[in-house]
Amino acid sequence: MKLTIDQRWDLIDKIAKQTITFGEYRHTLKDAIGEFTVKPLTGIPIAIAVMYAFWSIFGSFAGFFTDGFFVRLFDAYWLPWLQEVFPGQGGWLYTIMVDAGGIEGGEFVLSDNCLESFGVLTSGLFVAIGVVLPAIVIFYLMLALLEDIGYMPRLAVLIDTMLHKIGLHGYAIVPTILSLGCNVPGVTATRILETKKQRFIMMTLLAIFIPCGAQIGIMQDVIPGLMGWILLYLIIGYFIFGYILNKIVPGKAPEFLIDVPPYRRPMLSNIAKKVWGRIAGFFKVAIPFVLLGAAIVGVLYQIGVIRFLGDALAPVFVGWFGVPKETAGPLIAAFLRKDLAVAQLSVIEMTEYQMITAVVLVSIYFPCVATFAMMLKEGWKELLGAMAVLAVVVFAYGGLIHLIGILLGVA
Amino acid sequence: MAGKSSVAAIYFAILGIVTTAFGIADILVTAGASEFAYGILEIPGDLFRGGWGGVIVLFAGLFYLSGIRNFNEIHQFSKIVMGSILIWIMAGCDIFAMITESIPSWEEETGPWFNTLSDFIAAYAPPYAPAVLLLPFSLVVVYYIRKRKQEI
Repeated sequence: MKLTIDQRWDLIDKIAKQTITFGEYRHTLKDAIGEFTVKPLTGIPIAIAVMYAFWSIFGSFAGFFTDGFFVRLFDAYWLPWLQEVFPGQGGWLYTIMVDAGGIEGGEFVLSDNCLESFGVLTSGLFVAIGVVLPAIVIFYLMLALLEDIGYMPRLAVLIDTMLHKIGLHGYAIVPTILSLGCNVPGVTATRILETKKQRFIMMTLLAIFIPCGAQIGIMQDVIPGLMGWILLYLIIGYFIFGYILNKIVPGKAPEFLIDVPPYRRPMLSNIAKKVWGRIAGFFKVAIPFVLLGAAIVGVLYQIGVIRFLGDALAPVFVGWFGVPKETAGPLIAAFLRKDLAVAQLSVIEMTEYQMITAVVLVSIYFPCVATFAMMLKEGWKELLGAMAVLAVVVFAYGGLIHLIGILLGVA
Repeated sequence: MAGKSSVAAIYFAILGIVTTAFGIADILVTAGASEFAYGILEIPGDLFRGGWGGVIVLFAGLFYLSGIRNFNEIHQFSKIVMGSILIWIMAGCDIFAMITESIPSWEEETGPWFNTLSDFIAAYAPPYAPAVLLLPFSLVVVYYIRKRKQEI
């Protein structure tokens, strides 16, 4: 049987009448709140509150486990036990694995806490398990919650205009926030950006200006009062150099279209899967690097490489960056472990402003080895480009921070 | 109905004024780099809780005040709800911090790992930050959300 066009339309009408229910659409409270969270005037205060909650809960949770239990477990039990049972006190293996200690009056003196011992089994394990693990768990838990509730796409829309100024778009917030946990998945997540230009800008900014969870965790532990200033310098640098890169890197930065989902009640099973997947990834990729990094730093200290480089580069650190000569060693070791470098810096005597400068330099100085390897995987040309930008940024921004300190009379 | 909504509008107007005042006080105390305590109220003077947190309390107050006119309209009502959500976020963070601080003993070398019962309970005693004091008053919005659902 063949139908005419009119008969077909009649049939469509009949089917539609039987299957579609028409009614008046009522705007719900959820819809209205959803709209307000993407409008700048109302959305920005909410974003400010969400970020506050993120960092407040992060600090409380990480402090609860690290300062409440792990510091004592490692400093009062684990370190003294290892110092006693590990053979060859003062020998090179002992120094690398347990305690680098110090020399007082010509005698080898043991360290009294895991942040100063710099051994693989002491500082390495303490940083990996005692500091980074609680920080990473709460970070990924909160991120998964925000994703499942449906807030992340709204944050992307809200921040889109601002990120366009640096050649990116709203979705660049995903790799940026992921990098605050670990730079490695952050670099992988740059693939959600459409053009080469955007991916290059994002990867470079992540490698330079976004401190990872390990570094944030250790900053929270050893220099909590200065963290706000350090993050402020990094955020300002992120936008200044993003803006410059957008002007000089050729290529396109297209607009983006996004379907903002409604707010939903988060599903526990979803959150558990996401958090577990990310933490497992962190264990596989980052923890071995933490321990290996601690071992290599120990070896380099032992054979005098870091001292040699520190002495050679000291005039640059003192003259150009305005930080004490002793910071040269930790700043060089930061290539292997930024978190350990921050811990090393925290025990060096210097002014608050010098400490801010030194920690900012640790952050922007070089991506950690794991991030470096991941960037290489994304393409060697991009890696070389990012390294060239990095070298310029370190000298320009490090010098600028020193100059600001001089002008303010605090450097 | 109109009478009831005007009662609600007056209630949230007063809450908005108090919340805004607390937000401004938070910011001023932080600017003065000191803490302020009076009775059960304590205004933190640090940049994070006092400064950043104060800005959020201030926004909560402004949300309340901007939502009181034509209270029954859904967009206006949602501003009131958002004001309360901001208070819940702030108070929730403060209460979570209290919980995490009340459990360990914070002893560095010797002594018990966990707090004693009396110290644990003492950790929840006043004074409280403004958002915690505002929390019970902000919960009134839950009644209006439920009422609105029933009416639909």
